Amino acid sequence: MEFFNVLGDLAGGFGTALQPFNILMLLVGIALGLVVGVLPGLGGTSAVAILLPITVIIARTSPTSAVILLAGVYWGALFGGVVTSILFNIPGEPWSVVLLFDGFPLAKRKGKPGVALASSFFASFVGAFFATILFTFFARAIADFALSFGPPELFAVFILSFATLIGLGAESPAKAVMMIGFGLLLAAIGFDTITGQPRLTFGQIGLLSGIGFVPVTIGLFGIGEIIASAEEQGIGFVERLSAHVGFGDIIETLGELRKRIKLVISTALIGFWFGTLPGHGATAGSFLGYGLARQWAKNKEDFGKGEISGIMAPQAAADSAAVGSLVPMIALGVPGSPTSAVIMAGLFIWGLQPGPLLFVEHHDFVWGLIASIYLGHLFTFLICLAAVPLLASIMRIPYAILTPFIVLISIIGSYSLNNSMLDVFITIVFGLIGYWLRKTKYPLAPLVVAVVLGDSTERTLRQSLIASGGSPLILVGSPLAAILMALAVVLLAIPIYRTLRARGRRGEAALEKETVATAID
Amino acid sequence: MLLAAVAMIDSRAGALVDRTGTQPGGIGAGFYPFWSAALVFACAAFIGYRSWVTPQPGTAAFEDRAALFAALKLIIPMLVATAAIAWLGFYVVTALYMALFARWIGHYRWIWVVALAVLMPAAIYASFEIGFRVSLPKSFLYDAGLLPF
Repeated sequence: MEFFNVLGDLAGGFGTALQPFNILMLLVGIALGLVVGVLPGLGGTSAVAILLPITVIIARTSPTSAVILLAGVYWGALFGGVVTSILFNIPGEPWSVVLLFDGFPLAKRKGKPGVALASSFFASFVGAFFATILFTFFARAIADFALSFGPPELFAVFILSFATLIGLGAESPAKAVMMIGFGLLLAAIGFDTITGQPRLTFGQIGLLSGIGFVPVTIGLFGIGEIIASAEEQGIGFVERLSAHVGFGDIIETLGELRKRIKLVISTALIGFWFGTLPGHGATAGSFLGYGLARQWAKNKEDFGKGEISGIMAPQAAADSAAVGSLVPMIALGVPGSPTSAVIMAGLFIWGLQPGPLLFVEHHDFVWGLIASIYLGHLFTFLICLAAVPLLASIMRIPYAILTPFIVLISIIGSYSLNNSMLDVFITIVFGLIGYWLRKTKYPLAPLVVAVVLGDSTERTLRQSLIASGGSPLILVGSPLAAILMALAVVLLAIPIYRTLRARGRRGEAALEKETVATAID
Repeated sequence: MLLAAVAMIDSRAGALVDRTGTQPGGIGAGFYPFWSAALVFACAAFIGYRSWVTPQPGTAAFEDRAALFAALKLIIPMLVATAAIAWLGFYVVTALYMALFARWIGHYRWIWVVALAVLMPAAIYASFEIGFRVSLPKSFLYDAGLLPF
């Protein structure tokens, strides 16, 4: 019965997503996503951040159209980055770095650029399709479950999100913790919502309403990324392959896909699960997919030389992780990836409260979004198959025009939300901070997630303590909260365990050396 | 670290759990920012200590001057342009900024430079000012009634 209810809701969602204006928004989003995806130095997250203020205007008439536009950018960028990786041997997006390993070799050494591109497009499509089916059937169930959460459980969910970023992140845990602290601190600036006291404003009236999320993200991603890529311009020689995906390539790819369908579906399922974990989107998913494909393969030695599994598995996992990263955003109000953190900030700006109540209060919005994911991937897939030469030509836009244009669009974006020059200055300052953090290898994902979740984390903590009359035991009072907190502790223990084990090994090695030295003496 | 220390000092009043019962839930407005700042401070101290004890070879942020100059080429005009918006308005700054990049970085012929400097602000004006009805900052010439932007 539940199954048919979901199908009914989905049909309603398609009714919303197929409205002409929503299709137009989806196509505009995909086109923009493809452009930024192809261009190295400008990512999907940045494009979504820069577009946020414009979506406010669209959201006045329909928030569903606004979210379809932003999600379209995400899907477009997922596919667009592939073209640059395979044809130019430069990653267009962080999640297409892994395609350099086998995508470019297949295109160049084996002379099959069409097959390399088609393989990745097909795998993305299949991966995303399975992920969206999971999204369709599970998001509602998770949201229904989450509706029973009180402040202590929600606080535990937020703590678990932060713990995931620290415990499973690739970067230094200390740096991740520091970025979370910094993000929470930024979120605390302005009036305290409970007592009404100004905090960290240092007497500045402009800061009383807090630091806006939008100027911060546009700065960190839009400006920060463009400065970082400006620094890299002119370094290295760009090799260009020209290609289009022909009918023969599609037939050959379908044959290869049939041989690897189990691999593609299983990496897609794992990618989806991985994507639902906070902070881990397509990039982490793509590396996970590649690692699994290699581990499971009998022909490990072919990897790195143009093995099609090395293209299909990471692509399926990356796309499916991207879809998965929207699940906790919709169902729990916790972003699954930096891009979904920015989309979630959009929801706040449009006056929606991300989380389980969305399914109840904004039924059309949620199902319209879910239906648009199916359509978005189908459209992107078809556009990509047809328009590879056009996409490759985007790389010809000169740096001297593109860079100042992105800076100007970022300035417009941060200004237009509140007509405030202070927001523009915040964007520029955070652009410099974002650039510096990239250079010094500080992770941006924990920072963005903490800025978005900061207010909710503090609110749920204080609501819990108010309810318990100040006793912190309420935070582990219910079985669910206790389990979530325990999981968080386990995740936090992972890096400590890793460090201790590494130290232990080093210690053993040193001891062995000493023993050998003594023996020689 | 400095940033965190300043934030900690600012919110020190509410740092500790309030025993007097005057604050709802036992913690005041300063509790949360103080401990967030303390987290940043502790991590900064730890990272600083670690890099001091085990210096990583070859991790200088700018390995060559060219990279630094490439970044500064973008940063300095960006800062100047942002500061100039208050006086010259967004559209005049856009024209000058686009022209500067086209000539200086792109080495385009003057005719293209002028074309970009005119077309880009015009396109932004048409799409934002007219299309989206977003009013962007205007120049002192607008205030004097000499220019429409």
